[in-house]
Amino acid sequence: MVWVSIWKVVLVVSLALFAMLTIITTLLGAADIRRLFRRLNDEHDTPDR
Amino acid sequence: MNDAMTTAARTNFSAWDWAIVVAYLLISLAIGLYVKRYATTMTSYIAAGRGVGVWLGVATMSGTEMGLITVMYNAEKGFKGGFAAFHIGVLAGLVTLGVGLSGLIVGPLRELGVLTIPEYYERRFGRKTRVLGGVVLALGGILNMGLFLKVGSMFIVGVTGLSHAGWAVPLVMTGLLTLVLVYTVLGGMISVVVTDYVQFVVLSCGMLLATLLAISQLGWTTIFEEIQLQFGAGGFDPLASPAFGPEYVVWQAVLGLVGCAVWPTAIARVLAMESPTAVKRQFTWSSIAFAIRLIVPCFWGICAFVFVTRVVPELGPWFGVGEGELAAGQEPVSALYAMPIFMGRLLPVGILGLVSAAMIAAFMSTHDSYLLCWSSVIVQDIIAPLRREPLSIAARVRLTRLLIVLIGGYIWAWGLFYEGGDDIWDYMAITGAIYFTGAFALLIGGLYWRGASSSGAFCALLAGCSAVLGLGPIRSPVARWLLTLTDRPATQEAADTLLSSARVGLLSVAFTLTVFVVVSLLRPDNRSAATTAAAHRGE
Repeated sequence: MVWVSIWKVVLVVSLALFAMLTIITTLLGAADIRRLFRRLNDEHDTPDR
Repeated sequence: MNDAMTTAARTNFSAWDWAIVVAYLLISLAIGLYVKRYATTMTSYIAAGRGVGVWLGVATMSGTEMGLITVMYNAEKGFKGGFAAFHIGVLAGLVTLGVGLSGLIVGPLRELGVLTIPEYYERRFGRKTRVLGGVVLALGGILNMGLFLKVGSMFIVGVTGLSHAGWAVPLVMTGLLTLVLVYTVLGGMISVVVTDYVQFVVLSCGMLLATLLAISQLGWTTIFEEIQLQFGAGGFDPLASPAFGPEYVVWQAVLGLVGCAVWPTAIARVLAMESPTAVKRQFTWSSIAFAIRLIVPCFWGICAFVFVTRVVPELGPWFGVGEGELAAGQEPVSALYAMPIFMGRLLPVGILGLVSAAMIAAFMSTHDSYLLCWSSVIVQDIIAPLRREPLSIAARVRLTRLLIVLIGGYIWAWGLFYEGGDDIWDYMAITGAIYFTGAFALLIGGLYWRGASSSGAFCALLAGCSAVLGLGPIRSPVARWLLTLTDRPATQEAADTLLSSARVGLLSVAFTLTVFVVVSLLRPDNRSAATTAAAHRGE
């Protein structure tokens, strides 16, 4: 049955991609947070737009 | 759930699991308090100073969109529709990928540098469109999140094995709401993106772990065989499934597009990104999470179904599946409880606490973003434009915080008192459509069609409210009335066939787009070309 095979592939590929995304986002997201805090510190006294 | 059901649904949740959950919640609260010092301006409070990088953007968007409500309604879809429900996630992922690659709507919107969608309405269509757009957005959005708190609490009650009769659900609702309110009110968007990051990490690990455990416990082949046995071909083919069908599939594609490119909480992430290029990359990568957030919980619902029919058949009658019947006086329970009970029985001590913390993380990351989004729209797009005197930054932040608390009070009350028969996903789709049908027309028309006029935009926003007809308590009587006009028997089944929520949603989208185009052509805006040019210059 075609649909069974399609959903099996979808599930396996989705889980693999999700695991990869989790690892990448965890590492690079932490760097982004540090950058965000530096930027907010620098702009602390800048007037609001 | 009465006593017999509570006994059958007993879970592995222990004191260790409670400790893990409490520790996690305290860490989230501490983060909210720590970043409070950065929320000193309106831009930093509602757009994190527009300094969010790509990967933090992916984490915060994914954390927000993978809410506990998402997990619950997709599990419900999987439980009731089998693998055929996977089409919802696949379509959402593909559409989001298309938006990321093309930059449709989100690219030009970020270039303009607006803080909210109604602010764009004002630049393109004038102030009265902004105010009406703000009202429709806030009404549709707040109605949309009306059941979040209750459904999230049902997960916790189910997974911990508490009885939903009596105090448990209202007490959990109150505790969770209080926690979310505290750190959202204090930290604004900075607090939201940072906690979203933590929540994304915990949630992703928890989801992957739980999925692998579910497969190992039930068996990969068994899961597919059982769905084939119970549902037949309809358990896999969405076009042939009695729960879905071609009309429903088209509706899901529309929802996939508006969910990523028009929905305000997603757009709030767009507007907080550091550049339009970063926005496109954020959407391209987030397409994976947009698909996963629907596919994995749907798979859990399927596993819960297999668990109920194969492993614990005595639970079957409570959910209306398998063989056997309930005794006299026993009432069936919502299918929403099936997945948390399955998780509570499947996962060992410790892992259960981690997964529960992940789910609560999902709950919190959605609530904080939604609360902040609706309250900031009310302040920025309704109250501030209507005032003669300019509203100070401090007053805006103060008002936003007050509204967060008021909206929190509303969702607490709505969750306790609303009685509707729709699946949660269908309820959310229709309440969301009250806003997004009009917004979709205005954004597409405003950004890509020079002939779009202010009158067309105003009428389209009003026409979008027609989606409210899709809500169960309104749709059923209307469908029955239509049936009586045609002398057909006004049964519930005939009413549901005549006016499904998907059909009402699609008709509402078509009606709104037609109104927008026709009125724009009939009443063109003389300033249209100039305004478009000004808007694209960001003036």
